[in-house]
Amino acid sequence: MEDKMRFLTGMILFGSLWGFSETIIGSRLSDAGLPSGIIMTGFFAIMLLVLSRIIYKAPGMQFGMGLIAGTLRVFNPCVGCHLCSALAIMAEGVLFELIWYRLSFDDALLKKTINQVSMGVITSYIIFVGGYIVTQILTPMISGPGFYLENLIVFLPRILSSGLPTAIIGGLVLPATYKLSKLNIEVKDRLYYPAALSISMICWVLVIVNWLILVS
Amino acid sequence: MGKDKLIPILALIIIGIGVSSSVYVYATHIEKSTITINDHEYTLDEIFYLANSKTVNTSEGIKTGVSLDNLLLKIGIKCPSCNEYTIKAADGYQKTVTWEMIQDGILTKEPRVYFPSYPRSFWVSDVIEIEIKEV
Repeated sequence: MEDKMRFLTGMILFGSLWGFSETIIGSRLSDAGLPSGIIMTGFFAIMLLVLSRIIYKAPGMQFGMGLIAGTLRVFNPCVGCHLCSALAIMAEGVLFELIWYRLSFDDALLKKTINQVSMGVITSYIIFVGGYIVTQILTPMISGPGFYLENLIVFLPRILSSGLPTAIIGGLVLPATYKLSKLNIEVKDRLYYPAALSISMICWVLVIVNWLILVS
Repeated sequence: MGKDKLIPILALIIIGIGVSSSVYVYATHIEKSTITINDHEYTLDEIFYLANSKTVNTSEGIKTGVSLDNLLLKIGIKCPSCNEYTIKAADGYQKTVTWEMIQDGILTKEPRVYFPSYPRSFWVSDVIEIEIKEV
């Protein structure tokens, strides 16, 4: 029971932080003309997904984080594409789970720096490219005339090439995240639950207030 | 082969895919100063001379360009609602839209199309062609 509570609280905390970064920081990066998708996936998503996986060692948690982050992303005033971006984030959570299946119990594998860098490259590239493809399929299906396979095929080289910077960032971020996870910071239960839930609530309030300001 | 060896090899393969697709994208990038519409070449000046101007309010601010439906009617498209329109960019990006969407859209001098009522993924930048296909 205690483990389940820790799992759920951790999922809400990391999912909310991911959704907050996608919605607030991602939008600001995009407004500044920066490649927000590359930075968001290569840095924020990888850091939060890997950190939560190493700390909690609980498969399934990252899928839940994707659901929470995707739900938060719905509160982003970007015309007509709320649902598609949210689904892309959820897809990233699913892809992460598939790539890291069983790996969270194989801590020895990630002790070598070469494996940390390699897993950073593999994970960030696949979740970025996968999320991008999901968006390209779902957006015209949900908000347009339908999905045309030829439109995706001709653009596929561009999608595959755009994943390269994300892979490089992910290759640098994962070893740093691994070192961060080994700092062994212990938080007592009486602090863990209120702190985690308060941070989650702050993320949700800030995203909703930002949304209300922008739509009013 | 153990995971210890497999993981770095997979990472190298992924880097290889990323690099080779970047080279492909660079090599196939099309530089054009005209826009092909229904197999005819038009300069932006010709397009802006032909069609009516329209201003729309988008999530990126107010944008002015030519009305896409008016442009297609002016170049002599028959039965516009019987067709699908594929808008293509220089980098290979393309989106297929209906006449209903075309009526919402504008083409700016950048040249970029905006469909204010539709998601940004339909707002094709660096347009080089509008292909018209009968449904």
